[in-house]
Amino acid sequence: MKNILDYSYYPGCSLHASAKEYDESTQGLFKALKIGLKEVPDWLCCGATPAHNVDELLSLSLCAKNLELAKPVEGDLAVACAACFSRLKTAQHKLADNEEKRKQVEYALDAPLALDKPVKHLLEILAKDFGLERLAGAMKKPLAGLKVACYYGCLLTRPADVPELDCAEAPTIMERVIGATGAETVSWSHRLECCGANFTLSRPGVVLQLSNEILASARRAGADCIMVACPLCHGNLDIRQAEIEETSGEKYNMPVFYMTQLLALAAGVSSSKLGFDSMMVSPLGLLKEKQLL
Amino acid sequence: MSRIGVFICHCGENISRTVDVERVAQAAEKISGVAYACDYKYMCSDPGQNLLKKAVTDHNLDGIVVAACSPRMHEKTFRKAAQSAGLNPYLVEMANIREHCSWVHEDKEEATAKATEIVTMLIERVKMNKKLQPITVPVTKRALVIGGGIAGIQAALDIADCGHHVVLVEREPSIGGHMAQLSETFPTLDCSQCIMTPKMVDVANHPNITLHTYSEIENVDGYIGNFQVTIKKKARSVDMDKCTGCGVCMAKCPQKKIPNTFDKNLGMRPAIYVPFPQAVPNTPVIDRENCTYFKTGKCGVCQKVCGPGAVDYTQGDQLVVEPVGAIVVATGFELYNITEKPKGSAIKGYGEFGHGKIPDVIDGMTFERLASASGPTGGKILRPSDGKEPQQVVFVQCVGSRAREKGISYCSKICCMYTAKHTMLYHHKVHDGQAYVFFMDARTPGKGYDEFWRRSIEEENAVYIRGAVSRLYQKGDKIVVMGSDISLGIQVEIEADMVVLATAVQPRTGAELLAQKLGISYDKYNFYSEAHAKLRPVECATAGVYLAGACQGPKDIPDTVSQASAAAAKVMTLFAKDELEREPIVAKVFEKNCVACFACKKVCPYGAVEEKEIRDRQGNLLKVVAWVNPGVCGGCGTCQATCPSKSVELDGYTDEQIMAQIEAL
Repeated sequence: MKNILDYSYYPGCSLHASAKEYDESTQGLFKALKIGLKEVPDWLCCGATPAHNVDELLSLSLCAKNLELAKPVEGDLAVACAACFSRLKTAQHKLADNEEKRKQVEYALDAPLALDKPVKHLLEILAKDFGLERLAGAMKKPLAGLKVACYYGCLLTRPADVPELDCAEAPTIMERVIGATGAETVSWSHRLECCGANFTLSRPGVVLQLSNEILASARRAGADCIMVACPLCHGNLDIRQAEIEETSGEKYNMPVFYMTQLLALAAGVSSSKLGFDSMMVSPLGLLKEKQLL
Repeated sequence: MSRIGVFICHCGENISRTVDVERVAQAAEKISGVAYACDYKYMCSDPGQNLLKKAVTDHNLDGIVVAACSPRMHEKTFRKAAQSAGLNPYLVEMANIREHCSWVHEDKEEATAKATEIVTMLIERVKMNKKLQPITVPVTKRALVIGGGIAGIQAALDIADCGHHVVLVEREPSIGGHMAQLSETFPTLDCSQCIMTPKMVDVANHPNITLHTYSEIENVDGYIGNFQVTIKKKARSVDMDKCTGCGVCMAKCPQKKIPNTFDKNLGMRPAIYVPFPQAVPNTPVIDRENCTYFKTGKCGVCQKVCGPGAVDYTQGDQLVVEPVGAIVVATGFELYNITEKPKGSAIKGYGEFGHGKIPDVIDGMTFERLASASGPTGGKILRPSDGKEPQQVVFVQCVGSRAREKGISYCSKICCMYTAKHTMLYHHKVHDGQAYVFFMDARTPGKGYDEFWRRSIEEENAVYIRGAVSRLYQKGDKIVVMGSDISLGIQVEIEADMVVLATAVQPRTGAELLAQKLGISYDKYNFYSEAHAKLRPVECATAGVYLAGACQGPKDIPDTVSQASAAAAKVMTLFAKDELEREPIVAKVFEKNCVACFACKKVCPYGAVEEKEIRDRQGNLLKVVAWVNPGVCGGCGTCQATCPSKSVELDGYTDEQIMAQIEAL
């Protein structure tokens, strides 16, 4: 059967490793929604934080190479990871009108630049291309009664003129998308605060403090769970949660979902395919309590 | 054969440093038609001017080129000097070899060659200059003042006290403006209402002032000395002659739940209302958008209870035409709003401060209303969300101002001082409360200002933290203020009960629309532009229009009052004469050639071009042509450049003269 929409797909490294459940649930959700995803063959790492911290040319070239590889694949480029999305958009932005940098990258790739393919985050695809009404119509198992704290982190909307996904400082796109499942979204203070990101390796103390504040804020707002769109945020809030509880003396037991896990669940994808068992803070208790399993 | 005198100025060393002035004079002397050339150290000085005057008589000159600074600087000086020697002043031209040459070049050889060419061009032009006579226009000795805040009130009173009639137009139902909203004023902490309301009453009682409140400027026609202003008096729904101001209608109005904008929406008002008890005039208006009668056709309580029968639902908007000779614009300011701005707006909101959705994050004017004895809390500092007395208040300066990334780069000038005042008022009312102020630097130039600011720290216990605030968020019933202390190099977090933002001063919404009606210029922020930043600070480039107060740029009360009085003085200078002399450098139409396409009319920035009918003796229409009103023409020459049939020319800048200048190169 023909798909409603078709995209090329750039999963990025995390989705093939620590964030496998993000990849699985994305595939499951899009299949259920009849949106085609065709993985870019032979894609490379986007360079992530290390590359652009050390060598801008390397960072831009890796992203330009990925866009070149994506060019022959049909459809706009769908990206799930907030960091990959940010890097690809940044490369497009920086190379758009900087002749000198364009020349450098062309020299590095030994090929003409092919940057034109629109890079779209899953949120944008669901909210704008697919449409919220159609999304709501495709939901088979409403998440009624589930209170979700949508967590954007730093990169989805910032810097303001690069991703252009939504308003940089007061976005609502996550709330609108998950709202289509019938879930309740809470209004909370730390939606856009940094989780500590890469400091998780070099200075975990920073992450423990910042992520603790995010968890505390979500709990204050009465959320049952947090929803993210970034593997690194997920790592800090989920994998580090036990350690955060230990150092802060607070008890959260706050499941941290990838957005696609919740959406796919509501779209009727079998929960066994959504990687709930690979989450450090098990959501099973919560989902059973809300009669969603 | 012309007999032209050429005078080269050294301007101290400003010109002679890079231009060999003697060589320029020698070169000029050799040009045909030049009878005399010399150079002098300061041509604009008394001996310099005498040199020019003497040369006019000694050499029987019939044209003069002064090679010196910009004509904007000294053209008038030299024209006057020539006139006193008996020469028509419009036969004098300036060759700008300072701004256009010596100041922008370094190589003396090249600069000297360029200066010589500039002088040569002007010599060729002066040869064709005509003797012109100044234009005189009559002056209507009545003034219009737009805006009834402290600036407009001061200007109106000054002009009226001088014996001239003033028409004062105010958009709101009462005069008073922002000053009527303030609690106490820096640097003396006297009560704003106590010094403001007597002036408002003076305006109402002044025999020379006609007051139009709840009114707006609809249209402005005419020119200096002769404006025709159409004023729209919005329907008040209350007859001002019959109303006694007893207030029964307001007390009986069943609709009482309308946010009171005068109190920054902290209190409520009825649908028939005066903005505040001391309003002038003390005549209510019906807010038709919120009135039950106007919405549903039912109610009519105010009309039933009004003893004198003043309530009139059938009243419509009224247009009044007032002839005036001068206009003072005093439309004031409004405060930056941190809420989300429409897409594409150059001004951005403050998402990181919650876009204005945290109830206890207020702006400076809201704090004024809280602190005001006549405010919604009777002068008690109580926070809007739950009416509790805040124990920790954080003041944040420079919100919107000096923030290029937010779209505004200028300093709002008044916030350092009023924030210092706020910390004092807070300390006076909440003795054990603590005020914190985040600031970039304290800008307190003004008499007694720095002492005032020091007092807030040394005697009134305010804690000043040098640094910016990055984020505000609600945590329980507290507001967490995340900021930096750059003196200590640390990050700070304060859990505050209330946050007061010193938001930027901006021109009134729609300020640009009024400017377009008046034909005055404005900057990229829509502040009105003065004719000269230093030497003509209260005049617009458009003759007959003057500026007062914050519509020209952020200003505190003392500065506003000074500027308003200065604007009034300028109006009185204009009114001191019965007729007004204007520069005769205006455009003239050759009616024979004009094809009546009116391209000139479309491009004229002054609205000076009119359509003129030419008729024969029997009154038959022969032809329609363009006509330039010399009283309005600003002499810009746009029409001349536009005219496809070369039928309009500016005296002193004819095509022939411009071509002669080019050919001299």
